[in-house]
Amino acid sequence: MTKRYNWQLGREMEYPYDAPPPQRQVAYIFDTNKCIECQTCTVACKTCWTSGKGQETIFWNNVETKPYGGYPLQWDTKLLQITDPARWKGQRLETPTIFETDGEKHPPRGHRPVTEDYAAPNLGEDDITGTVDLGAHFGGVHPMWMFYLARICNHCDHPACLAACPRQAIYKRDEDGIVLVDQQRCRGYQECVKACPYKKTFFNLVSRVSEKCIGCFPRVEQGQVALCVESCIGKIRMHGFLSTREEPREDNPLDYIIKIKKLALPLYPQQGTGPNVYYIPPVHVPNGFLEQLFGPGVERSKQIYRALAKDKQLLGALLLFGATDRIITRFAVEKDEAVGWADNGEEVARVPFTEPVYIRNHYDEKHDVYRHNTT
Amino acid sequence: MSRNTPTRRRFLFQMAGAGAGCALLANRAVGAADFLKPLRVDNPLYAYPNRDWEKVYRDLYHSDSSFVFLCAPNDTHNCLLRGHVKNGVVTRIAPTYGYHKATDLHGNRASRRWDPRCCQKGLALVRRFYGDRRCKRPLVRAGFKRWVEEGFPRHPETAAVDPKYLKRGDDDWVPVSWDEAFRLSAQALRNIAETYTGDQGQQRLRDQGYDPLMVEATGGAGTQVLKFRGGMPPLGMTRIFAQYRMANAMALLDDKIRGKGAEGSVGARGWDNYSWHTDLPPGHPMVTGQQTVDFDLCNVEHANLALVWGMNWITTKMPDSHWMTEARMKGTKIVVISAEYSATANKADEVVIVRPGTTPALALGIAQVMVKEKLYDADYVRGNTDLPLLVRLDNGQLLRAAEVFPGYRAATLSNNTVVLAGGDPGPAIHAQPGPVIPAAKREEWGDYVLWDRKRGGPAALNRDQIGAHFGKTGLDPQLTGDVQVRLAGGGTVACRTVFDATRQILDASYTPEQVEKITWAPASAVRSLARQIAANPEKTLFVMGMGPNQFFNSDLKDRAVFLIAAMTRNVGKIGGNVGSYAGNYRASFFNGLGQYLAENPFDVETDPAKPARSKGYWKAESVHYFNHGDTILRHGKAVLTGKSHIPTPTKAIHVSNSNSLIGNAKGHYDTIVNLFPKIEFIAINEWWWTASCEYSDVVFPVDSWAELKYPDMTISVTNPFLYVFPATPLPRIHDTRSDVEVAAGVCKAVGKLTGDRRHDDYWRFVEQGGMRPYIQRILDHSNATRGHTIEDLEAKAADGVPAILETRTYPKIGAWEQGNENKPWYTKTGRLEFYREEPEFMDSGENLVVHREPIDSTFYEPNVIVAPKNHPLLRPRQPEDYGIARGDVSGDARQARHVVLSVDELMKTRHPLNADGYRFIFHTPKYRHGAHTTAVDTDIVAIWFGPFGDIYREDKRMPFINEMYVDVNPADAKALGIEDGDYVWIDADPHDRPFKHWQKNPEWYKVARLMARARYYPGTPRGVTRMWHNMYGSTVGSVQGSETNPNGMAKSPRTAYQSLFRRGSHQSCTRGWLKPTWMTDSLTVKGLLGQKVTQGFVPDVHCPTGAPRESMVKLSLAEPGGVGDQRLWRPARLGLRPTYESDLLRRFIAGRFAETTS
Repeated sequence: MTKRYNWQLGREMEYPYDAPPPQRQVAYIFDTNKCIECQTCTVACKTCWTSGKGQETIFWNNVETKPYGGYPLQWDTKLLQITDPARWKGQRLETPTIFETDGEKHPPRGHRPVTEDYAAPNLGEDDITGTVDLGAHFGGVHPMWMFYLARICNHCDHPACLAACPRQAIYKRDEDGIVLVDQQRCRGYQECVKACPYKKTFFNLVSRVSEKCIGCFPRVEQGQVALCVESCIGKIRMHGFLSTREEPREDNPLDYIIKIKKLALPLYPQQGTGPNVYYIPPVHVPNGFLEQLFGPGVERSKQIYRALAKDKQLLGALLLFGATDRIITRFAVEKDEAVGWADNGEEVARVPFTEPVYIRNHYDEKHDVYRHNTT
Repeated sequence: MSRNTPTRRRFLFQMAGAGAGCALLANRAVGAADFLKPLRVDNPLYAYPNRDWEKVYRDLYHSDSSFVFLCAPNDTHNCLLRGHVKNGVVTRIAPTYGYHKATDLHGNRASRRWDPRCCQKGLALVRRFYGDRRCKRPLVRAGFKRWVEEGFPRHPETAAVDPKYLKRGDDDWVPVSWDEAFRLSAQALRNIAETYTGDQGQQRLRDQGYDPLMVEATGGAGTQVLKFRGGMPPLGMTRIFAQYRMANAMALLDDKIRGKGAEGSVGARGWDNYSWHTDLPPGHPMVTGQQTVDFDLCNVEHANLALVWGMNWITTKMPDSHWMTEARMKGTKIVVISAEYSATANKADEVVIVRPGTTPALALGIAQVMVKEKLYDADYVRGNTDLPLLVRLDNGQLLRAAEVFPGYRAATLSNNTVVLAGGDPGPAIHAQPGPVIPAAKREEWGDYVLWDRKRGGPAALNRDQIGAHFGKTGLDPQLTGDVQVRLAGGGTVACRTVFDATRQILDASYTPEQVEKITWAPASAVRSLARQIAANPEKTLFVMGMGPNQFFNSDLKDRAVFLIAAMTRNVGKIGGNVGSYAGNYRASFFNGLGQYLAENPFDVETDPAKPARSKGYWKAESVHYFNHGDTILRHGKAVLTGKSHIPTPTKAIHVSNSNSLIGNAKGHYDTIVNLFPKIEFIAINEWWWTASCEYSDVVFPVDSWAELKYPDMTISVTNPFLYVFPATPLPRIHDTRSDVEVAAGVCKAVGKLTGDRRHDDYWRFVEQGGMRPYIQRILDHSNATRGHTIEDLEAKAADGVPAILETRTYPKIGAWEQGNENKPWYTKTGRLEFYREEPEFMDSGENLVVHREPIDSTFYEPNVIVAPKNHPLLRPRQPEDYGIARGDVSGDARQARHVVLSVDELMKTRHPLNADGYRFIFHTPKYRHGAHTTAVDTDIVAIWFGPFGDIYREDKRMPFINEMYVDVNPADAKALGIEDGDYVWIDADPHDRPFKHWQKNPEWYKVARLMARARYYPGTPRGVTRMWHNMYGSTVGSVQGSETNPNGMAKSPRTAYQSLFRRGSHQSCTRGWLKPTWMTDSLTVKGLLGQKVTQGFVPDVHCPTGAPRESMVKLSLAEPGGVGDQRLWRPARLGLRPTYESDLLRRFIAGRFAETTS
C-alpha cells in the first residue's frame, strides 16, 4: 500500500496505487436544497447511455429519497453496517477507510447487492422520518423530514473500483480524472461492484461485463456539461473541474464553492475514495443524520447557505447553475449579473440576480393595439 | 509527488488476476484471445495503455442530425425540445437552451435563468413515439361499422340504438382507410343530426328520458346534440381548436337538414376545458369579474413571503421549481400549506399541515386575526374593495345611489372603460382599451353607497373611483357599525358595510381556536400566518394550487383568499398577488381566435392575406352536465342550473387531445356503464392508445408532437413565452395525420354526403398544405400577439427559441393594471367584491364569504355552512323550501343543502356513511411522474413512480412493471390489519360508485371496483388517504389481459392498452357534482375573449367545475403483499419501510454512524 493524501479526510490514507493527480479533476456540485427528484437527469442519462439489453435495471444516474430510499437497496447502510462509525476530530477522520479496514492483502471493504436490490429504484420516495398525526406547524429543521439525493459516479480521486479490479481494466484519465471501465478488457468479475461504496458500477447481465457512468466524456471533450447536468431543470448541478496542480482559484466556481467557501461537501468521505460529487446539504434536516453522509462540515455549510443573500459572490456562483450547457471554468460577478466563461475564454453564461421586468405601453402605436395582462 | 516515480504496489489478489493469472483465467474459461494478447497494466491510476475502445461511447453518443419540436401535454409548461436522430430514428431528446434568446417585439430579452426547460416525461418520448401503443392506422369498432352499414337501425319509437351495436370496450376493431373512416363518421353525424331535428327529434329525446329543458335547448336543431371538444385547446390553437371550427361548420349540415340558411342555421355544441378539468378557480370571477388572476411563477423572487398553498409546486411545476428554490436562496420565505408533508414541504422554511378541503376556513381564520388585531390596510380596503359599501339589512342587496339620492344619475364612466350604446358592437378586440360594458348593464348596476365619516352621511361611489381616484374624492368611508340611511323614496333602511357583515361572521365562527378545530392548523399557526402576511404588504404571494380547487367549496376558497390578500394590499403587485395554478388555459392570449374558430362557414374568406369574417354558429356548454349523467341540477321543485347554462342532450362526441373526457373522467365507470349506451357516436383523435380509445367507435390516429407537419402555436400561464410548434422534418412513423386534417376530412365527408362544397372552402388552407394563414389571422387580431408573424416565430422555434408574449408586462403579472394603475376590475362595482347580492348566492347562504364543509371528503356532515345562525344577512333557503326532506343527506341532495351550523355543532356531526366504515378521505392529486397520464406507462418513467416498481415483475399480480397505490397513514392501516404493500379494496359511496346500479352488474363491477397496493405513507394525516391521479385505469380489455396473459400483465390482448391497475381506477371513487353558485345567470363577468363584460354562463369562466378530489372511502384487505406464502412484500420484510425499520435503518435515521468532535 502507498500513502496518499486525502484532503477530504485531513490525513494520508493507504491506497494500492499512487500517481500524481490528473491535470484537472472533473467535479460536480449538487444542491440538495434545489433537487426536486424529477428524474430528468436519470432519463437523459438512460436514453443516451443505458437503453440496451441487459441494462434494464441499470441507472448510472438516479435520484433517491433519504433516509428510506436507496438504489440499489441499502447501498449505503449495508456498508455502514460493516464498517466502523466514522469518527471525526475536527476535519480529520480518525477511523479507517475501506482501503484500510481489512489491510494490505484484501480488497476494499464492500458488499455486493443481489439482483432484486436493483428492482425498486424509488423505494422510499417522499417517505418522512416521523408520522403525521393530524395538523402540524413547524419550521427550521423539520421534526420529520426527507430529502432528495441525486447520485452519479463520483469519479473519485482514489477509486475503489479501480483499486479492486483484478484485471486492471478500470483507469482514471489524466486529462480530466474521469474513471472508466474498459468495456473490451473487463471480464465481469464484479469486484468493482462490490468495492464501490456508492454502488455506481453495475454488472450488465447480457454483455457480462461491468459498466459505469462515463462522465459523459464525449461531451466533456467538447466542452459540454454531462447530460444529467444539461437536463437538470431544478438547476441543482454545476459541472466543471477542480484545480489539482495549483492552488484553488477564486474565479473557478468549483474551486470557489468546494475548496474555498466549503459550501459543498463530499458524500461519505469517510469511505476514503475522495469522491468528486459535492453536495450542498439540505438545511431542513438534522445535522446528526447529515454528518453521516457529508462529514463534519454540515453545520458550517448550512449557515453559509442560510446567509447567501448577503454573500453576492457566492450567490452569483450558485446562480450560474444550469445557465448553460457549456462547462464554465471561470466566473465573475459584475454588478447585478453573474458571468461564466468557457475554457477558451468565450462567455457562455450571463445571468441576472433578478430576472428583468419590462412594462410595455398600454397602447402600442407601432402595431395599433392595446396590450393587456387580462385579455 | 513526482509523476515519474509512481509507487507500484498492488494487492495480492490483483496479482492473481493479472500478473500470475493465466492459469486462473484458464480455469474461468475465458476466451483464448486473451492468451494471445497479454496486456500488462501496472498502474491504472497512472496510465492506461489502450484507450481506443473509448470510441464505443463516442459512437453511441453521435447523432446524424437533430430537429426541434414542442412538447405540450397539459402541464402548463410547453417545452421546445431537440430530438437527436440517428439512422432516421429519434434516439434521444434534450433541452434546447434557447429560451435566453427569446425576445419580444421591442427587443427585450429573457435571461439564461430560464434554461433549461424539459422534464423526464419529455425526454422519455423517444420510447413513446415508437411505442407499441401508438395509434397506427384508422380503426373502427366492428359494431359501430355494422350499425352504419345496416342503415342505422333504431327503436321505432324512441329512435334509441340497439345495445347490440354498442358493445364498447368488448368489441373488435376493424382497420379502415382514412376515407372510409371519414365517410363512416360523416354518415353517423348526419344521421344523428337528422334523427333529432325538429319536433319529432325533440319528442324522441324526451322519450329517451332527457330533461325537457335540455331538449328545449336544442331549439329543434339536430346538430345541437353533436358535441365537439378539443382538450385544452390553447395547447394547439389551430390543431386542437379545430374541433370548435368543426362545430361551427355543422351549421352547414343544419342548413342542409332544415334549410334555414346563413341566418337561421345552428352549429354543434362545444364543450368547455379549463372548467371541465376543475382548473378554473370559480371564485376568481366572483371577486374580480374575470377568469383568473395568476402570475408567471418566476415572480416568486420578488416576494418576501410565498405561501405555497395546496400546491405541490416541485412535482407539478417542475421546470419552474428553481425560481422558488432560488428565491429562497435570496431570502424569500417559503411557507407550504398542505394536506400532508408534501414533496414541496421539503423545500419549506415553514410547514402547516391541514385537513383537506378546509382552505376557506383557514383563510377566514387568518382574516379574523387581521381584523381583530387591526392588521389590515384600511386605506387600501376603502379604496379598492367593496368592503366599505352598504348592504341593506332588509333585503340583502347592496344599497344603490339612486335609492338614496333623489334624481341620482349614474356617473359617466371614463376610467379605462368603454360604455357601449345599444346596438354598438364596439371596437374590435385588439382595439379595446379596457372593460367594455353595454350601456343597459351599466344603468342596471347603478352606483353604490358608502357612509362617509367626514360628513356623517351616505355618499355615492361609482366604478371609476378606485385606488388613487378614490383617494381624490376625499371620502372617508366607515367600515364598522350599522347605519340608518334615509331613502329618496321616503323612509329609512338599516344598512351595514360588507366589512362589518363579514366581521360578524369571522368573530362568531372563525377565531383561531375555532379554525384549529375545523382545519387542524394550530391556532398559533393561524395567528402567525396572519401576522406574517400583514407584515409583508405587496410582498406576499398566494400561490394557490389545484388541491383546494378540487373541492366543492372551491369558489369560497377563492373569495376567502382574495379577502386576506386584499386586506394586506397583496393583489396585482409583482411581489404581492394571488395566483391559481391548475392546468393551462387562457386561450384569451389569442383573443383574436374568433378569426379561426368562428369563421363564418357561409361566407368563407379564401384569400389568405385577408381577415376572416366571423360568425359563431356553435354554442358552448359545460361538459359537467354530461358528467352528471347528462342532467342538470334539479333540487326538489327548483331548477338550479341557470338558463344561460342549460346543455343539450349528448348523442355524438368527437374529441381530440382529450382523454380527460372519457378515460380519465371523474366518475369514469358511471360514464361508461350508464351513459355511453345513450351515445350513438364517439370519435377520438389520439396518438397513444388510451382508455378513451378503448370505448370509442372511431379512432383517428394523429401525429405525435415530433411528427407535426403543420405549425401550430400555444402559450403558458406559468411562463411568459409565446410558443410555436414548428413543422418537423421527421417522417411520420405510422399512417397518421394532423388533427386539423381529421377535422377537415370529417367536414368534407359531410359535404360530400350532403352535396355541399362550402365544407371544402372552409378548410381550404389545410388542403393547400398549411395552417399559416389561419395562424397569422389569429396573431393579427390578438392583443398579446399582434405584430408577430408566423414565419418569424416558426423559424425561431425550429432553432429552439420561443418568443415573448406581448402582454402588458414581462413577466406576466395578473391584474397588474388594477394593482398599479388604479384601473377598475371587471365587476359591477369596479372593485374587488366580497359580497354577492345575486339571488343564487343569497339562496345558497354564500352572499357573504363562509366556509362550507366538503361535499363528500369530510368526517362531518357534508356541505354544511359554518356561520352564526343569527346573522341578519345570511338566510339561505332550507331543504323544506325546496320540498326536500331535512334528513336527506344523500349525495345528490347535498348539492343544494344549505344547513348552517356553528363550529361546535359541526364537530358533533358525522358523515352519513361513517357508521358503515367509510372513514377515509380519499384524494387524488397529481404527481411528478406523469403529466396527467403522459408517459406513466413508459417503462423508464414508470419505474420511478413510487415504491412498487419492479422491472423483473417478480410478483406476477402486478399490472405492469409498476402499479398505482394508495397512501395510508401507517397507524390507520395497522388498525385495519393492512400491511405495507398489501392489496386493498377501496370503495366509495355505494349509492353511486364505482357506478350506479353496480349491484346488478357483476361483470362491470369486476372491472370498476378499485384495488391497489396500500403504501404506508407517514406524511399523510390520520384518516386521509391519497392516490395519484396520473395512472391509466382498468378497462374491460386490461382486466381480460390480467386474467389471460401468461405474464399477468393488465394489458388488453385486443388493443395492447396498458392499465396501471389490476382492477378499477382512481376515478372509481369520484363522481360529478354541481353547485348552484357555479351556474348563475346573474354573475357579471368578462367574456372569455376580449374586454366585453357579460352576465351568466361563460365557458371556462363561470360554469361548473366539479369536485374530483372528493370521496370518502372504506379500505379492506384484498390480498397480502408478499409473493407466494410470504405475508409481507420484500422491502417490508427487509425492514426498509416506515414502521418496519430494521435496527440498522433506525440507527441510520438517528445519525448513529458518525461522530464529530472538535
